[in-house]
Amino acid sequence: MTIKARKLRFDTLLIHGGLEAGPAGATTVPVVQSSSFAHHTAEDLEDIFRGRKVGQVYTRIGNPTTESLEKRLALLEGGIAAIATASGMAAITTAVMTIVRSGDEILASSSLFGGTFSLFRDTLANYGIRAKFVDPTDITAVRNGITEQTRLIFVETIGNPKLDVPDIPAIAAAAQEAGVPLMVDATVTTPYLARGTELGADIVIHSTSKFINGTGSAIGGAIIDMGSFDWGSGKFPHFEPFAKKYRNFAFTARARKLIHKDFGACPAPMNSFLLTEGIETLALRMDRHCENAMQLARFLKGHDKVKWVNYPGLEDSPHHGVAKRLYKGKYSGLLTFGLADKSAAFRFINGVKLAKNLANIGDAKTLVIHPASTICSDFGPEEKALMGVTEELVRVSVGIEDIDDIIDDFAEALDNI
Amino acid sequence: MNLTVNGKPATIDRKETLNITALLDELKVAQPEYVTVELNGEILERDNFESTVVRNGDTVEFLYFMGGGN
Repeated sequence: MTIKARKLRFDTLLIHGGLEAGPAGATTVPVVQSSSFAHHTAEDLEDIFRGRKVGQVYTRIGNPTTESLEKRLALLEGGIAAIATASGMAAITTAVMTIVRSGDEILASSSLFGGTFSLFRDTLANYGIRAKFVDPTDITAVRNGITEQTRLIFVETIGNPKLDVPDIPAIAAAAQEAGVPLMVDATVTTPYLARGTELGADIVIHSTSKFINGTGSAIGGAIIDMGSFDWGSGKFPHFEPFAKKYRNFAFTARARKLIHKDFGACPAPMNSFLLTEGIETLALRMDRHCENAMQLARFLKGHDKVKWVNYPGLEDSPHHGVAKRLYKGKYSGLLTFGLADKSAAFRFINGVKLAKNLANIGDAKTLVIHPASTICSDFGPEEKALMGVTEELVRVSVGIEDIDDIIDDFAEALDNI
Repeated sequence: MNLTVNGKPATIDRKETLNITALLDELKVAQPEYVTVELNGEILERDNFESTVVRNGDTVEFLYFMGGGN
C-alpha cells in the first residue's frame, strides 16, 4: 500500500516524509556526493534545462540528498515547496532578495537575531533596500510601519536573544490587508511548536543548524513556501512572469531560477544528510528542551544571585499569554537571566563545567554565552537595548541532558561567582 | 487520441475523454504536484486540472521550475 505522505501525522513525517526507497534497501537518505549529473542524450539535458523534465544537473541548483530534506521540511511546515541552503543567513538572504529590489522597504522586528539585523540595516542598505524596525509585539506599531514602499514583513517567532513573542497571526492579518508577504523565522520554535500554516506565514525561514539538526554537527538553512501569497497582484512586477506561469509556486520558482541559482548558497549533500537524520528526533528533543528550560528557569528564579529570569514559559513573562496560545503550551529551549554585572556573568560562564560556552543554540548540549561581548559586540548601546541585550545577561540554550545535572552545574557555578 | 506532448507526438490509447489529472497519471508525469501544465499555449490553473479535458490534436507542455537553468 502506498503511503500518501501528506496524510501522515507530524511525528511520522519527521521520519518518513520525503524519503524515497534508497538503493539496496537503504533506509537512510543516500549521500549523493556528486557535483554534477550525467544524462544519456543531449535531448534529455535540453528538456531539463527548458523545464520540460525533472532531473538533476548540478548540486548548486539541486541534489537528490538535499531534495529529500526539502520535501520533508515542506511537509512538516504544511508548505508547497522548500529550498535548503548553506546556512540560516543564506536562507534569509536568498528569500529576501527574491522579493525586494532597490527602493523597496522591509518592515522588520526590532529584536531580530544580530546577523539578520546587520544584514537588513547595513548590507542591504548598500543596495538601496531600506529596513524599518518596529517592536513586533506592538501590533499598532506594525500596522503604522507599513508604507507604500513596504514589500516584506519579517519577524521571528521568538526573538533571539530578547525572547519576545509577537502575535504572528495578528501580524499576518495586517500583512494580508496591506498585500505584503510575511516572512517568519521559526528557528527557535521549529514546526513542532507551530507549523507555518498555523501561524499564517507566507514564507518560513529556518536556521536548520539549530534544533532541526539537534546535535551541532552541520550548518544549514531552509526557505519554505506556504504558497499562500498572491504574487500576481501588480505590486510585484518582477514576479509577473513567474506568477503567470507557476501560479502559487511563483516565489519558489523565482528563488530557484534566479536568486538561489545566481547567489549559489547551496548546502553540501553531507550536511543535507545530517540534517535529514537529525530532524527524525525533533519532537522528542523539543519536548525535552522545553521541559528542561522550564525547570531551569524556575531554579534560576529562586536563586539569590540571579536578578531576573526571562523565559516565555514563566507565568510572569509579558509574553507568556501569546506564547501559550501560539505554541501549544511549549516555550522552546532558550532562556536568559541576569547576574550582578558583566564580571559576574563571566565568572558564571567560566564556572560551568557541563554547559559549553559557544555561539549556537538548539544543540542537544546545554550552551551558554555572554551576548553583549560576543554575538552582539558589534552593536552600540541603542541596538543592544532593542535586542534586549545587557551587560549582566547570560543566554542559555537548554540541552536535553538530565535536568538534575544541568541544575547541579549551574548551582555550582553560581555558588562560585 | 493523438497529442503533441513537450514538442513530441504522443498517442494515447483510450477511448474515453481524459482530464488533466488523468493525463498526468496516464503519461506518468514526474512530480505532478509541482508541474505547470500548458494546454494549446494557455497555462492552466491547478484548480482546473479536473475540469479541463484534452482532445485529439491538442498540444500539451509540462513545465517544472526546479530544473537546470533558464
